[in-house]
Amino acid sequence: MARVGVFVCFCGANIADYVDVPQVVEEVKRIKEVKYAVEYKYMCSDPGQGMIRDAIVQYKLTSIVVAACSPRMHEKTFRKALSDAGMNPYLLEVANIREHSSWVHQKDKKAATEKAMDLCRMAVAKSIANEQLHEISVPVTKRALVIGGGIAGIQAALDIADARIPVVLVEKSSSIGGKMAQLDETFPTLDCAQCILTPKMVDVASHPYIELIPYAEVLELQGFVGNYKVKIKKKASYVNFKTCTGCGACWQKCPVKVPNEYNMGIDKRKAIYTPFPQAVPNKPVIDAEHCTMLQKGKCGICAKVCLPGAIDYQMQDEIIEREIGAVVVATGYDMWDPTPYEEYGVGRFKDIITSLEFERMVSANGPTNGVPQRPSDGKVPKNVVFIKCVGSRDEAKGIEYCSKICCMYTTKHTILLHHKVHDSHAYVFYMDIRAAGKGYEEFVKKAQVDTGTTYLRGRVSKIYKKGDKLMVRGEDAQIGQVVEVEADLVVLATAVSAPKDNPELARLLGISYDKYGYLSEAHPKLRPVETAKAGIFLAGCTQAPKDIPETVSQASACAAKVCGLFAGDTMKKDPMVSTINNEYCSGCQNCVLVCPYGAIVTEEVPMGHGSKELRTVAKINEGVCQGCGSCVAICRSQAINLAGFTDPQIINEIVSI
Amino acid sequence: MNYTKQIQDIAAKLFTEGKIDVFVGYRMNGFDDNQVPVLITDPQDVSKLVFTDKSVFNLVNYLKTDHTRRKRVGLVVKGCDSRSLNLMLTESQVKRENLYVVGICCEGIVDDSGHKMQNCVECVVPDAVVSDELLGTPSGQKPYMVNVDIAALAAKPLTERTAYFEEVFENCIRCNACRHSCPLCYCAKCCIDQETATLYNGANTTSAAFHALMTWSLHLAGRCVDCRNCEKACPSHLPLHLLHKQNESVIYENFQEHLAGVIPEDRGAFYKYSLKDPDDFIM
Repeated sequence: MARVGVFVCFCGANIADYVDVPQVVEEVKRIKEVKYAVEYKYMCSDPGQGMIRDAIVQYKLTSIVVAACSPRMHEKTFRKALSDAGMNPYLLEVANIREHSSWVHQKDKKAATEKAMDLCRMAVAKSIANEQLHEISVPVTKRALVIGGGIAGIQAALDIADARIPVVLVEKSSSIGGKMAQLDETFPTLDCAQCILTPKMVDVASHPYIELIPYAEVLELQGFVGNYKVKIKKKASYVNFKTCTGCGACWQKCPVKVPNEYNMGIDKRKAIYTPFPQAVPNKPVIDAEHCTMLQKGKCGICAKVCLPGAIDYQMQDEIIEREIGAVVVATGYDMWDPTPYEEYGVGRFKDIITSLEFERMVSANGPTNGVPQRPSDGKVPKNVVFIKCVGSRDEAKGIEYCSKICCMYTTKHTILLHHKVHDSHAYVFYMDIRAAGKGYEEFVKKAQVDTGTTYLRGRVSKIYKKGDKLMVRGEDAQIGQVVEVEADLVVLATAVSAPKDNPELARLLGISYDKYGYLSEAHPKLRPVETAKAGIFLAGCTQAPKDIPETVSQASACAAKVCGLFAGDTMKKDPMVSTINNEYCSGCQNCVLVCPYGAIVTEEVPMGHGSKELRTVAKINEGVCQGCGSCVAICRSQAINLAGFTDPQIINEIVSI
Repeated sequence: MNYTKQIQDIAAKLFTEGKIDVFVGYRMNGFDDNQVPVLITDPQDVSKLVFTDKSVFNLVNYLKTDHTRRKRVGLVVKGCDSRSLNLMLTESQVKRENLYVVGICCEGIVDDSGHKMQNCVECVVPDAVVSDELLGTPSGQKPYMVNVDIAALAAKPLTERTAYFEEVFENCIRCNACRHSCPLCYCAKCCIDQETATLYNGANTTSAAFHALMTWSLHLAGRCVDCRNCEKACPSHLPLHLLHKQNESVIYENFQEHLAGVIPEDRGAFYKYSLKDPDDFIM
């Protein structure tokens, strides 16, 4: 006969304010298998756990129900309390009366109490059918995959590799470097971005523990923490990187000109190109969409001028497979497209540019050799208006959140403008100046004094053309008047947005993303770099907008997590895995099809007792099984049972209410 | 529609060439003009084989028995039968290399009253989709139509429908003939019979019988090919096709016009995932 102990938690006021806890205890005491029931203010505290340990011994309990918060929060804590008292930890059942009752039924205490009772009754009924389970240990593949070769991916890869753990770094474009490689100088110290980034890029390329796979995408991820299998598509570059010396003869002779993405389309690149001179690897790729040879079969100049013969027009996409144990996702961000701001004349007026276009112009290796120019006539602008929060903090046209970095980079831009064009004057339309960060406020203050920039607090309502100038009309909220500024050039501080491929990537990795497309962390405060899927971590702007120092910190945090994961040779794993009853299995293999982890294979077993005839049945690899239960649901023969969620347990739960 | 001669010739040839151990076909039942399935192992008996518009049963069901398992089998299939064979192949229940399939381009089966059966009137795939040899002239896939009975039932209010089903399924005696007659009910031990399946146990109440029938029909949802072997086997004459046809029409409408067993390797709507699948029922 089962002897169940029930421990109901107040959770301070979280539960007790909305659920009548003593009444719940009285109710569960009426169940005949319940030999002990008690309430306590904080069940998870040391005295609370002590009550459980003592009761197990004193009342000879055979299973335990804790009615408290979500099992995601404290299931592990209470399991440990059971083990400490010498009981199998899987005889624990958690009734979630906080998230499932008190928090969601705050307006109706009676109903919340009744629901809490139901949840307790179900947990008691289930726990009666609980069985002793034992942890499984599985081997770990000590190799990490880093997706994205921006500063976040670079830092994570270097830190992991420095711990002598092999890293596979996959980058979508032909060179690592990401958005940071497009920046001129970085706030708040004005270091040259190239000077601090390119050495790290070279380190990545030369590191013995890093395998760099540029011009590639992740296609598929299978398996589970410690034992993932990844499929990577290496796009055809039409250039053999092994023989190419990076001499540059090909792109000098290539006759096709295409807008240069690295310079935000301000100048042109060739159809065979390296994105920028400091690219790593410094090997060109052919842009198949624009190459005359690949499109029409005529030209072939690059192949003629290539002395090592590295050009291969027949090259095909290649699929690379790697076994890895952990993943760091660092896919960065996109710049938000300001087209919805019609009143600014975006698209109509050439002299309205985005901040990243401005960044390229003032950059020493930029298309205009570091001197800003008006796109319309090439003149050097004197009056420049910077508009902040274009897209950010705008529920109507853009996105609700603050992009975090625009205040700081706009300040930087006013300084860069002042440095490059001494007689210029900058105007900044702003909502607030958000300069929280080490040295940030000082940086803004100093810039305001040094550059003499006019800061106008208010939003711009309209931009129109007057002669060859742009008239920017906005409100100066501090004097409460409409102001008009005559500008040679208008720079929009466009919002940071999530990479548009993030939802698809999230789907193939099996992690979640928010409404904007940013990948979701497991806990906003306490687990900011982990995802809800074990062994997958997030670094940089793919999780939320952030600046370089924060990105680098997060990348290093990911590296620490990966190193921690790989510290032992094996990993302990929950025993909640599926088992197949061969007698019932009809071998239809639907379970093989639905298993998201590839944990099910087939095996041949004798037809009957002592029979030589064989038949096919399914077989579960318990090291790979994650206990999701998909196979259990799909199995028509009900030949599959999930430990911890067996049919008797579930039916007990259903029947109890 | 009469392929008796051809089928006898094919069976005789297969036995002579030593290609099969057993041939599954139809013979006259011996007392009226109706037919029953026959398993022929002796080449002398091929003259018993017939095939006319009274060859009603789905012979794929006989691939589940000990008489055919692990043997080389010759088999006659109509359009609907071939679809269930396709599913048996997809679900790894039979091996294609063990079969010699005589496919029929079916013109419809007639019942005792001499009328074409309703499922044949509404048939979408009359030609066999799996065959080594095809008899007759293919007439191609027909447009899908919703079953007349389902359409009539759908017009009634919910309470009336519930009352109708409760009354009809009260007659179920839980003999499981429907299950045994279905080629796709091949499980080693049906979930309804398992010790843990307490929901179907107990007295023969309407709810337990109904529950079992609903489970059965859902396990066949997206797989049922409307051969109506179950209905012919049911001693209580339950209108079992109502359950299957309802599932079929819902699936056809919601899962990209899915029809069971028409495409090889297609396991059915519930066993595959497509980005086009409807999700409007999720909040």
